[in-house]
Amino acid sequence: MSHVLEIRNLTKKFGDFIAVDNMTLNIGEGEIFGFLGANGAGKSTTINMIASLLRPTKGEIVLLGKNIVKDSKFAKMNTGIVPQELAIYEDMTAYENVSFFAGLYGLRGAMLRERTEEALAFVGLGDKHQSFPKNFSGGMKRRLNIACAIAHLPKLIIMDEPTVGIDPQSRNYILQSVRKLNEMGCTIIYTSHYMEEVEEICTRIAIVDHGKIIAEGTKEQLTSIITDTKEIWIGFRADGAISIESLQGIAGVTAVRQEENTLKIVSKSEVNNLNRIIQQLIKDQVEIRSVEEQAPNLESVFLTLTGRNLRD
Amino acid sequence: MDEMVWLIRKTLKDTFRKKKNWFLYFGLPIVGILISLFFYSNASTGTIRAGVVNQDGSQVVTSGVIRYLEGLGQVQVTPLDEETLRARIASGDLDCGIIFEQGFADRVKTGEPGHIRIMSVKGESVTAYIKAMLQSYIGNVAAIGKETKGDEAAFARIYDSYSQHPFKLKATAQPDTSNEKMMSYQTIGYLITFMMFSAANLSEIILKEKENRTFLRLLSSPMSARAYVLSNVVVSLLLIFLQIVVTLVAMKLIFHIDAGMPTFPLIVVLLLFALTAIGLALTIVAFAKSTSAAGAMRNMIITPSCLLAGCYFPVNIMPETVRKISSFLPQHWLLDSIDQLQQGQSLGSLYVNLLILGGFALVFALIAVYRFGKNNDSRQFV
Ligand SMILES: Nc1ncnc2c1ncn2[C@@H]1O[C@H](COP(=O)(O)OP(=O)(O)OP(=O)(O)O)[C@@H](O)[C@H]1O
Ligand SMILES: [Mg+2]
Repeated sequence: MSHVLEIRNLTKKFGDFIAVDNMTLNIGEGEIFGFLGANGAGKSTTINMIASLLRPTKGEIVLLGKNIVKDSKFAKMNTGIVPQELAIYEDMTAYENVSFFAGLYGLRGAMLRERTEEALAFVGLGDKHQSFPKNFSGGMKRRLNIACAIAHLPKLIIMDEPTVGIDPQSRNYILQSVRKLNEMGCTIIYTSHYMEEVEEICTRIAIVDHGKIIAEGTKEQLTSIITDTKEIWIGFRADGAISIESLQGIAGVTAVRQEENTLKIVSKSEVNNLNRIIQQLIKDQVEIRSVEEQAPNLESVFLTLTGRNLRD
Repeated sequence: MDEMVWLIRKTLKDTFRKKKNWFLYFGLPIVGILISLFFYSNASTGTIRAGVVNQDGSQVVTSGVIRYLEGLGQVQVTPLDEETLRARIASGDLDCGIIFEQGFADRVKTGEPGHIRIMSVKGESVTAYIKAMLQSYIGNVAAIGKETKGDEAAFARIYDSYSQHPFKLKATAQPDTSNEKMMSYQTIGYLITFMMFSAANLSEIILKEKENRTFLRLLSSPMSARAYVLSNVVVSLLLIFLQIVVTLVAMKLIFHIDAGMPTFPLIVVLLLFALTAIGLALTIVAFAKSTSAAGAMRNMIITPSCLLAGCYFPVNIMPETVRKISSFLPQHWLLDSIDQLQQGQSLGSLYVNLLILGGFALVFALIAVYRFGKNNDSRQFV
């Protein structure tokens, strides 16, 4: 498998702060590569260096065989970036937005029209050519943001959290279009806070924490790291006050997280502590609704490796 | 290069799409012409009707000033007492009133004019012209007074020859062209302000794009930061050039005001000034953290400096210190060039002014470039 992107010893410092720390990584052709990391892990910084928006403090980035730290124009021509924050012109129509950005990559005339229409249809905005983004929903704006990045059909598409805060319909559109783009031969880098998304579409995943890649591989490879752990989900009635600290004190428990009416507890699989956990909850007068043991998934991998929640 | 043209096209299209911008860039300078017309015109509205109250008795100097006003040919002078004057101003019968209080002539002779009051309900639009004309005339007479140091006979002799010959001749011989020159000078005074505001507005597009993050998005395309800023400069220059052309064409063809100088050198100096204005605008943008900060800086800098440089009133009616300050303002050098061109100087003989204007543009541009460079180092926009 030939590499679309090779990153070697990539480091970025902001003053004394190390945002990306000696990162090494290869991404092959046709992959959908996921970056998973908490807020401030260094995902956007890495991506901005790949897109030549930031100059690395140290290290090499080789795109399609070319060192792009020296040749940023090449990097820019061959990548399409979907920025984490929306970057569209509110006072231009959807069509004009896509057409303008695609034109920056040298597309003109009939070709430009064709690609613009394709890109808009691709993200499900085919019937919104003449609408202004200021009248769009958050999800539609996100989709337009994506259309602007793909109309010129770059080899490498970089999506920085393209599904933050949007409706399920838009989200499905986006995930579908990522897959379609991939089928058309685009290599994709995808960062997200949403574990399920990454699990669903990524061929390979890197878990990033404090600027470092702490684990990398397919979903199966990653979950096999933690075969010695289990995850227990406990449903409860909302009004009880949960003391997470007291649960963390129980032998074998490595991480506890509350997500609405569910407690998610990661624990060593060889320790039999379910009774103690339930006793503690009863003592805290929590009304338990359900108890189930989950097979290890990416979320528990992440929780175990970083000790952090993915979302704040 | 290709992507620069693409961006320039888009920015122009964007700008012309908004009706507000048409008014901002082309409507306002035309309003400027209208105001200048109103200030200095006597053709359309007739002369300025001024009531004059002389409480200074039969002083030679005082009646000289009154005669001078009459001699201007644009002021219709009616002698009155103060009470009637007030009534007739209030009723709109008169445009303004001038009161020479007792002791006016004596004060002029000591070289320190005073005891003169000008009143109007029509405001600065009427009084500015009269004030300017009186100021320069009385100033000259006061200078004689200062020179002769209370020597009545010497004063009378010099004053006599002064009031007999040159001024009256000059004032009556060619009132029309001087009037039109003043209108066009004033129009350009306003145009300067509008050019500066236009440049500031257009440069602020950079900040706006940083704020809505399209700037960063553009930089992730094959467009470099340098090409981006350069495109912005080209847009500003194009629009300001159009602004100049529209103003001059309107002045000449619609309002029939003769600038009193050839068009080509006029456009050259105006364009040179446009570069200065763009340089200043970029400097503001380079230092401002947000569009609102830039807006505040723009308002704080442009209007006051234009006022000091004499864009709204002739500098010679301002105090000496103000006149000195104005030499440090680029607008002054443009206005001075216009003045000299109107007096028949050639463009080549104005090379000092042109160099100074070019220098201003260069210095501003260098500051902006230096500052932009620093911004990019710390990646303020990421
Ligand atoms: N221009 C900058 N100057 C200083 N520090 C910065 C700069 N850009 C990013 N950082 C810091 O670098 C760290 C990594 O930021 P980055 O944006 O890459 O995180 P991220 O993984 O994308 O997080 P998020 O999920 O919130 O988008 C953060 O702590 C951030 O504060
Ligand atoms: Mg980020």
